[in-house]
Amino acid sequence: MINIQDIRDTARDMLTKGEVRTVIGYRRGSRGMLAEPVFITDPAQADDLVWDPTCFHNLSLYLVHDRKFLTHIRQNPGVPVAIVAKGCDARSIVVLLQEHYFKREDIYIIGVSCEGTGVVDERKLSSQLNGFQASNAAFDGDDFVFTTAEGEKRLPAREVMADRCLECRVPFPKEHNVVFGEDKTGRQLEAPFAALTRFEAQGTAERWSFWQNHFDRCIRCFACRSVCPMCYCEECVVDSITFPVTTETTAEDKANRIRWIERSATRSENITYLMTRAMHLAGRCTDCGECERACPVNVPIRLLNNKMEREAREQFGFEPGASIGGPSLVASFLDNDPGQFIR
Amino acid sequence: MSEQQNYEPKIVAFLCKWCSSAGSDLAGVSRIQYPANATPITVPCTGAISPMYILSAFNKGADGVLVSGCHIGDCHYIEGNYLARRKMHLIMQLIEFIGVEPNRFRMSWVSAAEGAKFAQVVTNFVDDLKPLGPQDKLKKAERA
Repeated sequence: MINIQDIRDTARDMLTKGEVRTVIGYRRGSRGMLAEPVFITDPAQADDLVWDPTCFHNLSLYLVHDRKFLTHIRQNPGVPVAIVAKGCDARSIVVLLQEHYFKREDIYIIGVSCEGTGVVDERKLSSQLNGFQASNAAFDGDDFVFTTAEGEKRLPAREVMADRCLECRVPFPKEHNVVFGEDKTGRQLEAPFAALTRFEAQGTAERWSFWQNHFDRCIRCFACRSVCPMCYCEECVVDSITFPVTTETTAEDKANRIRWIERSATRSENITYLMTRAMHLAGRCTDCGECERACPVNVPIRLLNNKMEREAREQFGFEPGASIGGPSLVASFLDNDPGQFIR
Repeated sequence: MSEQQNYEPKIVAFLCKWCSSAGSDLAGVSRIQYPANATPITVPCTGAISPMYILSAFNKGADGVLVSGCHIGDCHYIEGNYLARRKMHLIMQLIEFIGVEPNRFRMSWVSAAEGAKFAQVVTNFVDDLKPLGPQDKLKKAERA
């Protein structure tokens, strides 16, 4: 069990001593039991920090935002930012470090282990509470305990846990400055890629009818892109912001611009967008599941990323977020990479 | 079925300028007969092909996409085709994963001296594509 007071004390200490300029963590949100991200600069606020099963956000996104902001204002404070990171979040940070997005000394990782459980899936939970809103959630061994108007409700974690947590291989932040909680690596409740394997057992036609349905529903709100710490490109292929439309832009100019992917939310464009995104995340996605959580129409985006992750792992022996110094997936190769498909 | 057998598939062929592109020229100057379904696009190296090119080709109506480059070890840029091998493996898996026929994508190694092989690759590809008929899964809908 993690004692939240330990995290608060660490945060308060470091802020008081000026060792970090901000602590990025979780606090109780204004919507029921759900935690929300918080950015603490005042040591007195350190007691706002919480750690409970609703801390599902991947906070490494805010390190990216911070980096972008500092670049924009052209300042380098030289003092690190502390961040509360779960296993998956820490892997995301490792990928960002691997890509030299920021320096290791700019980040102070307060690791938290997910221990016997993971984080909650809101959608799964809502069907379990008989319509009651929970006001609090807590870890207790292999269970989650929710406080509702009806009293306390204890649910086995695996029934309301996020899908990714069921299959999580490393629920422990290996890269950390300080870590709380036990390392329970290897406690998998389901085999890795179990959902993916079940899906792939279907035939081509079934797979297509499944995806066709989901690709049709995507509304191109780009929530998946906004919430993803790996989608940090200044310019996404979907937008053409380097070709601004001015009064001098002729119709011909506009017509002849390269548009890899149209912005309209039609099936063909949605496919191209989501597949391109999956390719760009191949070997980088650490399966934090934020894209799927943020999706307002429940497109199973994680499945695409999972597929790439498994190919990388099984065919190329590549594990995203495993080491800071390692090469990236598509910028490296091995002599014995699979090539049987090539005629 | 017979209608599908008569279907002439459109192939977008990304050919490396150092080998397959010259290989296709050799097939031409050697007067080797092969189907005219492939539209060649010369690229500096197969390693320069972004998986997005392939998605984009399907998006714009290609029935099949062929990527052809130098044999392993023969890359003009030393390692471009090794990198391509990885990327193409990934995109091929992804296309297959969402339920597009795997035969719509093909990759081959064709050197500048292999005109006959190039003709063979295109012939086989067209033969495999004909029974599949038009590709309308990733194709952009016609504007009304």
